[in-house]
Amino acid sequence: MTPSLPDILRGFAVALNTPLPPEALGDYTAGRAGILTLLALLAAQEAERGIAARLWENGAIRSLFSAAAVSAYDGALGGRLATAVSGADDEASWTALDLANADLRRLLIALHEAVEDQRDGALNREILALYARMAKARRLELPGAMGG
Amino acid sequence: MTLAERLAAYLTRTSGQPTTVENLARIAGGASRETYRFDALVGGERHGRILRRDPPGSLIDTDRRVEFLAIRSFAGRGVAAPEALLVEQEGAELERPFFIMGRVDGGAAASPFDPDPYGAHAGAIGERFFEIMGAIAAEPLDGLPILEAATRVAPEDCWRRELDYWSGVVEADEQHPQPIVRAAIRRLSRRPPPPPAKLAVVHGDLRSGNFLHDGAGRILAVLDWEMAHLGDPLEDVAWAMDPLWSHPGDPRISGMVARDEALAIWRSASGLAIDPAALAWWSLFASVKAQAIWISSAKAWRDGGLAEPILAFSGWYTARRQDEILADRLVAMDAP
Repeated sequence: MTPSLPDILRGFAVALNTPLPPEALGDYTAGRAGILTLLALLAAQEAERGIAARLWENGAIRSLFSAAAVSAYDGALGGRLATAVSGADDEASWTALDLANADLRRLLIALHEAVEDQRDGALNREILALYARMAKARRLELPGAMGG
Repeated sequence: MTLAERLAAYLTRTSGQPTTVENLARIAGGASRETYRFDALVGGERHGRILRRDPPGSLIDTDRRVEFLAIRSFAGRGVAAPEALLVEQEGAELERPFFIMGRVDGGAAASPFDPDPYGAHAGAIGERFFEIMGAIAAEPLDGLPILEAATRVAPEDCWRRELDYWSGVVEADEQHPQPIVRAAIRRLSRRPPPPPAKLAVVHGDLRSGNFLHDGAGRILAVLDWEMAHLGDPLEDVAWAMDPLWSHPGDPRISGMVARDEALAIWRSASGLAIDPAALAWWSLFASVKAQAIWISSAKAWRDGGLAEPILAFSGWYTARRQDEILADRLVAMDAP
């Protein structure tokens, strides 16, 4: 998922060091400061939970591949699924986890397309339920009464 | 030259009258175009104006002439469209394409972070909001200025054109694989909606936060017409009702009125029936379109050197919330 926390922190540095023209001072600058404040509070949440969410998601996708898919899909897709199941997150850095996650998500998309083509209702529901859990695991909460 | 000086030079040249510019100030928000308020002084008279200028890298790749003509199409037609004055496709003195509108003073747009933006006037604002949406849907297309620039579409192809465009945005701008929005796109493609009851102008971004209200129950101006196009008017209804614009736990649409009440107001104002299957299709589509915009935000933020925080917010927090909305919709649609 982009942006990653390191991206957000780099963005802070850029935003705070970008000179603004005179016509941008006032409302625009105040609004920009408000957004930077929100991003800082969200970044604190992501620093607390982001690694765990990525580890969980990668594991959950591998688990779905393992439990439901490998035996049902032959050929190239089955081979890719089997390889993915045997993978592991050996390095818990943001970059390594996101790279592994990108590979797993690409394979999940391919699996879901195959499931839809085969009208496999049970596995389709399982994948949709996983999507809902993946989205919730990455949830960021706006502070206070804020929604959005 | 400063932006104010260049703007004054442009207005002087095009009007043939010496014009000065005062109080030029950029307005927060409006990530798709830079938006400024200013006063134009001509012959001793002061005119409140709004400048909308393309950013160096645009978040939403839309034609500002369509936006300009959409506003002009509805000025004076009871839908609180502001006055569309000048459009420059080539940028002229301001270097990038822009247009100028009359400014509507005395109102404010709701903050997306305010859980109760309309307070005691929520019902009145909601009624007027869905009346305006219905009036836009009801307007006959013949003779509207937007027809000079908007792409024509056959009624049965409305869904396909919009889905093709926004799925293309996902395809082009996605920087990390997005299985949820892709699943939604496939579902929409497999099960098209029925054609619209009427081909209409679709505002394209008609929601809370995109109109000015006076704090006493009146809507003063409908803003942000940059995604206006011809299509199925249910697209606007579904867009306004996306859960993204409502605060979690608040059953009202964008803190205004309940869903059934909103639909009844729209039906009455538009004179159109609502096909539940069509509304369901456009509702899922609304979440796909929104996610496409947030995906583009993340790309625009990166391409712009990480300098614009609102793009980071949209591409990060908002994209994640939209993924939850999309996943919940897909689960609900697939439930036995």
